[in-house]
Amino acid sequence: MGGSGSRLSKELLAEYQVRETRSPGSLRAACARERMVPVPRPGGWARPLAPGGLLTLLSRFAFQDLTFLTKQEILLAHRRFCELLPQEHRSVEESLQARVSLEQILSLPELKANPFKERICKVFSTSPSRDSLSFEDFLDLLSVFSDTATPDIKSHYAFRIFDFDDDGTLNREDLSQLVNCLTGESEDTRLSASEMKQLIDNILEESDIDRDGTINLSEFQHVISRSPDFASSFKIVL
Amino acid sequence: MQRQWSLQAPGEPEAEPGGEELCEQEMERLCLSQQPVRVLPYAMVDKRFIRQLREPEGVKTSCWQQWRRRRQTVGRRLGEAARRLTRGCGLWEGALYEIGGLFGTGIQSYFTFLRFLLLLNLLILLLTSGFVLLPLVWLRPPDPGPAFNNTYLFYGAYRAGPESSSTYSIRLAYLLSPLACLLLCFCGILRRMVKGLPQKMFLGQDYRSPLSAKVFSSWDFCIRGQEAATIKRHEISNEFKMELEEGCHLLLLQQQTRAQRACHLLTYLRVNILIGLLVVGAISAIFWATKYSQDNKEESLFLLLQYLPPGVIALVNFLGPLLFVFLVQLENYPPNTEVNLTLIWCVVLKLASLGMFSFSLGQTVLCIGRNKTSCESYGYNACDYQCWENSVGEELYKLSIFNFLLTVAFAFLVSLPRRMLVERFSGRFWAWLDREEFLVPKNVLDIVEGQTVTWMGLFYCPLLPLLNSVFIFLTFYIKKYTLLRNSRASPRRFRASSSIFFFQLVLLLGLLLAAVPLGYVVSSIRSSWDCGLFANYLAPWQVVPELVALWLPPPSQRILYYLGSHAFSFPLLILLSLVLTVCISQSQASSRAIRRLRKQLVWQVQEKWHLVDDLSRLLPEPGSGSRPRSFCPGFPCPGSPGPRPRGNPSASTLGAPDSPCPALKGLPAT
Repeated sequence: MGGSGSRLSKELLAEYQVRETRSPGSLRAACARERMVPVPRPGGWARPLAPGGLLTLLSRFAFQDLTFLTKQEILLAHRRFCELLPQEHRSVEESLQARVSLEQILSLPELKANPFKERICKVFSTSPSRDSLSFEDFLDLLSVFSDTATPDIKSHYAFRIFDFDDDGTLNREDLSQLVNCLTGESEDTRLSASEMKQLIDNILEESDIDRDGTINLSEFQHVISRSPDFASSFKIVL
Repeated sequence: MQRQWSLQAPGEPEAEPGGEELCEQEMERLCLSQQPVRVLPYAMVDKRFIRQLREPEGVKTSCWQQWRRRRQTVGRRLGEAARRLTRGCGLWEGALYEIGGLFGTGIQSYFTFLRFLLLLNLLILLLTSGFVLLPLVWLRPPDPGPAFNNTYLFYGAYRAGPESSSTYSIRLAYLLSPLACLLLCFCGILRRMVKGLPQKMFLGQDYRSPLSAKVFSSWDFCIRGQEAATIKRHEISNEFKMELEEGCHLLLLQQQTRAQRACHLLTYLRVNILIGLLVVGAISAIFWATKYSQDNKEESLFLLLQYLPPGVIALVNFLGPLLFVFLVQLENYPPNTEVNLTLIWCVVLKLASLGMFSFSLGQTVLCIGRNKTSCESYGYNACDYQCWENSVGEELYKLSIFNFLLTVAFAFLVSLPRRMLVERFSGRFWAWLDREEFLVPKNVLDIVEGQTVTWMGLFYCPLLPLLNSVFIFLTFYIKKYTLLRNSRASPRRFRASSSIFFFQLVLLLGLLLAAVPLGYVVSSIRSSWDCGLFANYLAPWQVVPELVALWLPPPSQRILYYLGSHAFSFPLLILLSLVLTVCISQSQASSRAIRRLRKQLVWQVQEKWHLVDDLSRLLPEPGSGSRPRSFCPGFPCPGSPGPRPRGNPSASTLGAPDSPCPALKGLPAT
């Protein structure tokens, strides 16, 4: 349900995604104190936009405050996202609401050769069935993978990407799937079963501090903080 | 940054009140925290919501908050601009992106290093021209001398009148700018080195780079292209297999008897002594070559002899590594040890050859270490050298130019024909020969040699950084061409992090090697008596006391003399020891605390599972039988897919059978 850690309230989320005006009674009293971020114009998207419409719209949505991307990067991301949409939906307003299917995102050259491409798309997708990305999800993805993102947020999302069964910890299956993704499936690169067992034993021995047989987020972040490699390799630039 | 919460899966209605409370706590924490919204690991919709909660749109923000927000934005923009500037304003971004996409971050780091060196050289040039050249040209128009030696390329062309208390002292600027440049470079290199420093994983254990960190950070997400991904997979697979082999080897080593260990040590010594002897032989060859070249200046073949020292250095540095690799491979060490050993000896050879070159120059020109009558009157070899700084400068220019020409020659006369021949012909020999392997350490050592020569020459040829900048600029394109067209990727992986540390370490060693002769010359050697800025001084450093006496009032003079005297070194030493003691005791206390906390964590998790076990036995058996959610700190768990298919905890065993908890198996069942 939901995705990408938006655990605030599923009702809230559903409300926002449907873009209805809210009535105070439908929100959970504990979580909602203020009104949600309103839709920018009361009449919806009906009004045609001025030529500078994209820039003003982007600044109104405050993408620069909510991501680590610069204005040029956001505009480039928007252009690339629009290329994935069918021709008739490429206007500014529609592109900000449209969703692109997973297959189309996976066809991007930056992701095509990545063994974790399906996991990346699943982690960043906010649709209920986690099979499509909106423009905001796409921006989230680029923001986490950008140069200026903090190592903390990168390691957080790396943990989610490596957690193949989505249970909040990295257990032995997750680790062995991870290693298989890294080494590939061909005969000469795949590790044998005993090598795999030895490797996973070593990993757990080094990283599992509380000795429960799995690696949780804190332990993962602790390990990653010891590797100065990580921030420079966990980068995707359009 | 602890995100200490978790939500029950939405499918468990009885946990709703607890979940709601957690949600409220989390919301409150997020709203009150000062972290910028962008660092929160939530989707865009939630970030916007949190932002709205923190600063509702309708509410008027106070002037203080507005000012603070503006200041934060400005600060962030300045930080981004500064970062862009230190990366060279986007110089070569496209090329680096392409190389990273095709070959990964290991090889890309070499090209990033080239860019760093280019910026360093331009900075040195800026300092030198700003403090020396421009004031010189401003205060005294240049008079072109008859010979090439009298241009600003060489030390001899710089002249200035006697020092006075009111004018800008060109001498001081000329003396201090190399020292300031070296100091700045030292600080810059040290900073970058610390960033790439591999950190100790476990306290108290032997240092070995942690395998888990390697596994988690091994994929380069910037790779585009199926071929590159395949090559990367091969590399990673090889690396993992090597690590496992290394681990087994280490276990074997630990089980050796004393006699076996002594035997092993002896073979280790044997190969090192052998290589050490080779290195000694190589640098004595350089010594004789330099001496011969300097002693036979009147020969007709002088043009050839001029380039004899650079030629011998290049030959030695070409043959040496090949011999080292051959000798080390005879011993059958584990792969990591082989690579490291060869690398260390190559670095030693490179730096020793440069050191010997400057020493033998010093011996011929300044009679260091030998008594010659021609040196006695002036302190330098006045018979053979009118202006010895110019001669030294010439030698350094020759070395620099020769190295660059050699790079170009190798790229176009060796790699290119090799690739063409391998493509054209087929056969066992050509398949074995294959294209050239792009070896990052070798290329790095070459470029560090060029930089060391530049640093050595800062005092004698102030414009050498300009020449080196041009060379580095051209080297980038030549190496890029070689990499993309004429090379193949090395099967052995070169990690970016260890490479940053390694590059900066070698650069630092080169800087120290260049600083030592400079310090010696500046403080103790008599300058030429009829050329240059320091003609009437016992040593160039003597300008400083003179200027101090001219410019500063007597109390400041006394303070400066005290700071420079030997008596000051005692309080300084005591202060430094104090600071060092505090740092070391602090780090020891921290490591003790970490060990204690680790033990506490293990014990607490054990107790938790113990309690869960008791609870599951006491409660009536629920229908779902799902494994209790891990309440580990920090992860807002996404919705569970439902009860796990495996992992039905029975009354007496804990956890799912597929995730062993070795620490818990020994617990008694109560």
